[in-house]
Amino acid sequence: MDAFLDGFAVVSQPENLLYCLIGVLIGMLIGVLPGLGPAATMAILLPVVVTVDPVAAVIMLAGIYYGAQYGGTITSVLLRLPGEASSVVTVFDGYALAKQGKAGTALGVAAIGSFVGATFSIILLSLSAPLVAGWALDFGPAEYAALALLGVLLIATIGSGHPVKALIAASIGLLLATVGRDSFSNAQRFSFESMQLADGLDFVVVAMGLFGVGEILYNLEERHGKAHVPAAVNNIWPSRKELRTAAPAIGRGSVIGFFLGVLPGGGAVMSSLAAYATEKRISKTPERFGRGAIEGVAAPETANNAAATSSFIPLLTLGIPANASMAMLFAALLVLGVTPGPQLLEERPDLFWGVVNSMYIGNVLLLILSLPLVRIFVRILRVRPAILAPITALITILGVYTINNSTFDIFVMIAFGILGYLMKKVGFEPGPMVLAFVLGALLENNVRRALLIFDGDPTGFLTRPISGTILALFLVAALFPIVQAVRHRRRAPVPDETTQREDVLR
Amino acid sequence: MSDEHSRAGGGQGDILAELEAEVAHELEEQRPPAGGPAYQVVAGLVTLAVGVLGAVLAHGYGLGSLRRPGPGLWPFVISAVIIALSVVLLVVGRRLTDSEQFSRSSVLPLVGLATFVGLAFLLPVIGFEIPALLLCVVWLRFLGGESWRSTAAVSVGTVAAFYALFLYGLGIPLPHLF
Amino acid sequence: MRKQTLSLAVVATGAALVLSACGGVETSTGSDDGGDYPSGAVEMYVGADPGGSSDLISRQVATGLSDELGETFSVINRSGSNGALAAAELEQAEPDGSIIAVQNASLFAITPLAVAEGEVTSIDDFDVVGGVSRDDYVLVTNADNGWATIDDLKGAGKKVTYGTTGVGTGSQLSCALTYSTADVDAEAVPFDGGAPALTALLGNQVDTACLQVGEARENLESGKLTALSVFAPERIDALPDVPTATEQGVDVEVYQYRFMTTPKGTPQDVKDAIWEGMQATFETEDYQAFNEQNSLTPMEIPGDEVVEALETDKQRYADLVEEYDINLAE
Repeated sequence: MDAFLDGFAVVSQPENLLYCLIGVLIGMLIGVLPGLGPAATMAILLPVVVTVDPVAAVIMLAGIYYGAQYGGTITSVLLRLPGEASSVVTVFDGYALAKQGKAGTALGVAAIGSFVGATFSIILLSLSAPLVAGWALDFGPAEYAALALLGVLLIATIGSGHPVKALIAASIGLLLATVGRDSFSNAQRFSFESMQLADGLDFVVVAMGLFGVGEILYNLEERHGKAHVPAAVNNIWPSRKELRTAAPAIGRGSVIGFFLGVLPGGGAVMSSLAAYATEKRISKTPERFGRGAIEGVAAPETANNAAATSSFIPLLTLGIPANASMAMLFAALLVLGVTPGPQLLEERPDLFWGVVNSMYIGNVLLLILSLPLVRIFVRILRVRPAILAPITALITILGVYTINNSTFDIFVMIAFGILGYLMKKVGFEPGPMVLAFVLGALLENNVRRALLIFDGDPTGFLTRPISGTILALFLVAALFPIVQAVRHRRRAPVPDETTQREDVLR
Repeated sequence: MSDEHSRAGGGQGDILAELEAEVAHELEEQRPPAGGPAYQVVAGLVTLAVGVLGAVLAHGYGLGSLRRPGPGLWPFVISAVIIALSVVLLVVGRRLTDSEQFSRSSVLPLVGLATFVGLAFLLPVIGFEIPALLLCVVWLRFLGGESWRSTAAVSVGTVAAFYALFLYGLGIPLPHLF
Repeated sequence: MRKQTLSLAVVATGAALVLSACGGVETSTGSDDGGDYPSGAVEMYVGADPGGSSDLISRQVATGLSDELGETFSVINRSGSNGALAAAELEQAEPDGSIIAVQNASLFAITPLAVAEGEVTSIDDFDVVGGVSRDDYVLVTNADNGWATIDDLKGAGKKVTYGTTGVGTGSQLSCALTYSTADVDAEAVPFDGGAPALTALLGNQVDTACLQVGEARENLESGKLTALSVFAPERIDALPDVPTATEQGVDVEVYQYRFMTTPKGTPQDVKDAIWEGMQATFETEDYQAFNEQNSLTPMEIPGDEVVEALETDKQRYADLVEEYDINLAE
């Protein structure tokens, strides 16, 4: 409890408050601007961020992530253009409301829902994280290996894109992680006698290439001549009646978001879809959805913020990043000399509680910012993307150079940028690759450690209670999509309007 | 868009599937046409090649045994997985529509790329100011279609801001000419 | 800085084409105009991540040097390959004292036993300014196991696993030699540094571990861990009740020590200035308290004596490894 309160002392230092504010502002900004996602932004800013104090740096990066969830709403409602993937479903009812002249109401409800959802998750995070961290010492190499394996699989299958492609991307990420010196035998692997590769690929450089440069190049191709004409924003305070309609949806969205966010690979996108689907299913008037139902905005926006927050739990307690943005945070922590994992809470309570508690404050800031300042953010939408593009490009190149003062790093980043761009063109998401790259060394080293401890007997993974349970979950997660696909296929031949109707109503 | 596209694998059942279709439709309008089977086959062959190459090299590093895993064992296993998955992709992936055709506008990223490479080469030689300024001009005027006036204003302003930020603000030793 | 060859190629082609007459490129933020050492900020490379003992010692010395010599000595972490990466960078740095490093003996005396010939870092590529301190290894086990001496391990009745802080480290060598000499069936499990090895031992994931005294001390005092042996020539002040390996009939002496190095060919007056600054630092109460707190034994000897000790230890370790047929890298 003391540590928890100390956490507030950490956050309330002016410097940390400032970084929290900067983080959520940048987050909202990139949320508003379609193009760069939070993971790419975190990748691009990493080299700049590592020069500041670790606690402040992580507070700021976290702020970027959850701030983006708020910002994404604004473009969904006003432009019918989701700033973030997690705000895609908000488009349906949000834009419909905007057309009816109720854009302000939609944004207001979304902001309130976001705040409630995020706060709900932070409270549960504060309560549950110490419990999970309490098992820390029971986690040996076998458990870490199982956990990392589960993480890679879940990210690949319930993340985004075609599962086979995601798994291939993840496997290549694991392979890339083996480049350089093998820490068990000191042998060189895949480094082709290059001094620069002898110690492996720098995670930050790879991530900046795949996410940052890849996305910048991709946007160059996609962005041409789209005029941004946002809808007018009127009164942003929803009426009491509207709030009463939205309240239950906000409650359900919080719960759904929290639980889906904890799952590796789940995160904000899936939870917003699930929350919207739930509202539509239990509503007495499902036909209103898509035509301006306030619940249709409240539920997904609440859920995506709740999920964004709860996805910190696996990272901060077990050291397993749940999605691409968390992978960037994981990398940032490593660069700052902090290894996220069960020991984090005990070894760095200042950092742990500082970051967790910064989220309480960050969300208050966001609520304050997003209600009255919506009009300012709407104006930012008028800044032409063409002007921002070279600025992000320069931050990326100069930033990566400063990590090691190395032009070699720039070339590596460019190479991965090309790869990231080509992957997007042929339907591979870079996310699973980056995540697997992060987890690669953890996975390999712990598998090998476990094998040494088990004296080469792989059944040791199954007979230990915790790793056995995790591997059982792994099996369920691996088989689930296959079962699901079979079920779908069986249903597919009857695309009858009436049966679909029934499904919806059921 | 962002790192996570809108596709969820299951759980909520049919409404979710329906929503997914709707979302996909929603996004479709903004996306260029799909690349077709050729794109998928090439992608599958490339990943297959990566897997084969990885497996061959890893085998050379020494596999060892489960009791004493050699440096090559883990990469060999991963490469084998890549090979297997690539074969699956070649079989089932031909009709996927998640690729995007290269078009005339694909030249734009190529130009952008060239400026990246140019900056990387020139940075250690003549410092960052002139190459950065050139990059800005190319991106604003030729890739972004800005007017010469705003190009000049934004690029000079950007380089000046970076100069101040990196060299004075953060004290980072960036190669600079002035 | 790492891409020397590429930079050279770029310089060769680029310089002819572009601004050859334009004064060249500045990479520093300040200006160094000669004069007495140090004339500008000094960078101290550390071949380890922040938080470990190598890092802490470098930071302590850097703080002292900054106070004594008046310029900023900033520590830069370049972890990787037991410090070989930082060493390689130091080797290529300008020999003017603007980049210096406190390096570990293990890199020169033990790592060569575990890596390919071409990757060996040699002390001949550096100038050694002077010694800093010695850091001893201790063989520890989880208190739950009930073992108290090396003899107890012989009666364990199973294969004993031991955590090490990495391949080619003194931690690995001391444990491997102990188990070979005492004829105990054992298996090494390498971790990435002391902290994860300690965690694994606390969770009883591995049976024993060889750690640096500073890493294990807190948990030894709280009774969670039991020390079986230290590998110093005689008992150490921090753990006076723990017998040495030699006392227990296992003739193993392995220790880590650290010393200040500069790139080969650094002018003598620069080295003298650094050494004077260091000696003044060693006198401060702050520094001595730091040594005390981290269980470090001062080893403040001149550079040539350090080199001598390194050569002796390297030969001694090589002989032992050969005698007991130990393969550190497998």
